[in-house]
Amino acid sequence: MLKYIIPTMMLMPLTWLSKNSMIWINTTLHSLLISLTSLLLLNQFGDNSLNFSLTFFSDSLSTPLLILTMWLLPLMLMASQHHLSKENLARKKLFISMLILLQLFLIMTFTATELIFFYIMFEATLVPTLIIITRWGNQTERLNAGLYFLFYTLAGSLPLLVALIYIQNTMGSLNFLILQYWVQPMPNSWSNTFMWLACMMAFMVKMPLYGLHLWLPKAHVEAPIAGSMVLAAILLKLGGYGMMRITLLLNPITDFMAYPFIMLSLWGMIMTSSICLRQTDLKSLIAYSSVSHMALVIVAILIQTPWSYMGATALMIAHGLTSSMLFCLANSNYERVHSRTMILARGLQTLLPLMAAWWLLASLTNLALPPSINLIGELFVVMSTFSWSNITIILMGLNMVITALYSLYMLITTQRGKYTHHINNILPSFTRENALMSLHMLPLLLLSLNPKIILGPLY
Amino acid sequence: MLGLCGRRLLAVAATRGLPAASVRWESSSSRAVIAPSTLAGKRPSEPTLRWQEDPEPEDENLYEKNPDSHGYDKDPAVDVWNMRVVFFFGFSIVLVLGSTFVAYLPDYRMQEWARREAERLVKYREAHGLPLMESNCFDPSKIQLPEDED
Repeated sequence: MLKYIIPTMMLMPLTWLSKNSMIWINTTLHSLLISLTSLLLLNQFGDNSLNFSLTFFSDSLSTPLLILTMWLLPLMLMASQHHLSKENLARKKLFISMLILLQLFLIMTFTATELIFFYIMFEATLVPTLIIITRWGNQTERLNAGLYFLFYTLAGSLPLLVALIYIQNTMGSLNFLILQYWVQPMPNSWSNTFMWLACMMAFMVKMPLYGLHLWLPKAHVEAPIAGSMVLAAILLKLGGYGMMRITLLLNPITDFMAYPFIMLSLWGMIMTSSICLRQTDLKSLIAYSSVSHMALVIVAILIQTPWSYMGATALMIAHGLTSSMLFCLANSNYERVHSRTMILARGLQTLLPLMAAWWLLASLTNLALPPSINLIGELFVVMSTFSWSNITIILMGLNMVITALYSLYMLITTQRGKYTHHINNILPSFTRENALMSLHMLPLLLLSLNPKIILGPLY
Repeated sequence: MLGLCGRRLLAVAATRGLPAASVRWESSSSRAVIAPSTLAGKRPSEPTLRWQEDPEPEDENLYEKNPDSHGYDKDPAVDVWNMRVVFFFGFSIVLVLGSTFVAYLPDYRMQEWARREAERLVKYREAHGLPLMESNCFDPSKIQLPEDED
């Protein structure tokens, strides 16, 4: 693991000691090389995980998430270059340092063996994200957004700390590799009910579950582009990853404890998809779309079947890339028009046709068009929930229809139709923006050729 | 071709305020014409009204000073190098070499081995008349249960 942690740590002196003209070039270059080395993690065994040391391990669940994390850093740097061009040098370097610190904490979160180490890193990722949102966001609402983000996650995860310390005391170890074999069935009692809730609420808030999702539209909308990208692509998946790990300890009471949350997620995904149809703010639409997709992942993780786990992992990776790309597209609009209102900058297909092609591809993958990995994830989840209970197919089918509706609504509103007379000063697309979109899309399309690496440990 | 160069020349001259041509010249092969501008030497008048659709004054149009801007930086040299770094390291190295690496991964999660091993075991068990699969995962005679407590 040190081969990822040390280069990421060394990106920090690279930013601070580079020449003024070279900070972006150096950091983008070296973060791309680190993302190349991350592919070495794909050397997975069928019956065991890659155990690097007593502190770090990576199995088929954490490997795709790690590769996504390390791939996203150069993309975040490229996306932020324009809006930071006016800042003074120290602030630029501070922003890049926050991104690198976040990357470091995320790498350590996904590879942590010891669950307390996982918890510490999980909480540590909040700090750079909060700084990025509140310092570099664009509107005054960013302070409120940061507050919601921080306190929702903290309130959810403090019970998790108590639960983890209790497990350490009773089981003797919190090393995940040992816990897999030492786990005892958890009998049904009131205290175990609260224990289950304590373990799961942190990840439910992070995913987010429908009733606890209020922080997400605020945080995603107010964050600068790099903040939105990392929030949508990775930080939400921390919740999914944590849930998949912690449910190992929580059987068999999960069978009935999960019902309220499955109901909330099934209903919530329809609700949030419907809210998307009524949004005027482009980033808000993409944020609610994230809640809807993550609700599918929550349902999949809580029903705990092999196919649903495969669908959940595939959906997490697919949604990470798609959502990040949609935020980059929305940002390319925002940098030109300085407004997030969708109808303000419409008819862009005539003005920026190549960007319209990227908008089309992103919207198509968002609505889970075959053969993209979005479809593979959603299909596995729909199939496994149907097998769990036949009625869920109505809700799932309705959700897929509404997802298609709002994705196409977003596409048609921003791209089709006659452009407005007041956006005649829109600059043509930069090479940077087109490269950014293709760097999101190409891994997504390549993965649809070889999806076995994102199907997780139960493949 | 000449028309394109001519247009480029006029654009450069217009942004820099230099006269592009001092005499009128017409091409014999195409319809390209290079002529001195009637506006040469005259400054454009300041706009009297500010419209909402005018670009914000703080917005920097990267194409103004550098029409070949790639969107990375104001300085054209840094801009071009940044573009080259992103394309070379991002596409040519990571995407190409990375997807080759992933495509040639040896037997990811031992799936192919599992199939070969299963076929080998089935062949052996069929040849020896043994059942293909037993419902006991472990040998029941080897499991030592604790004594029954009443």
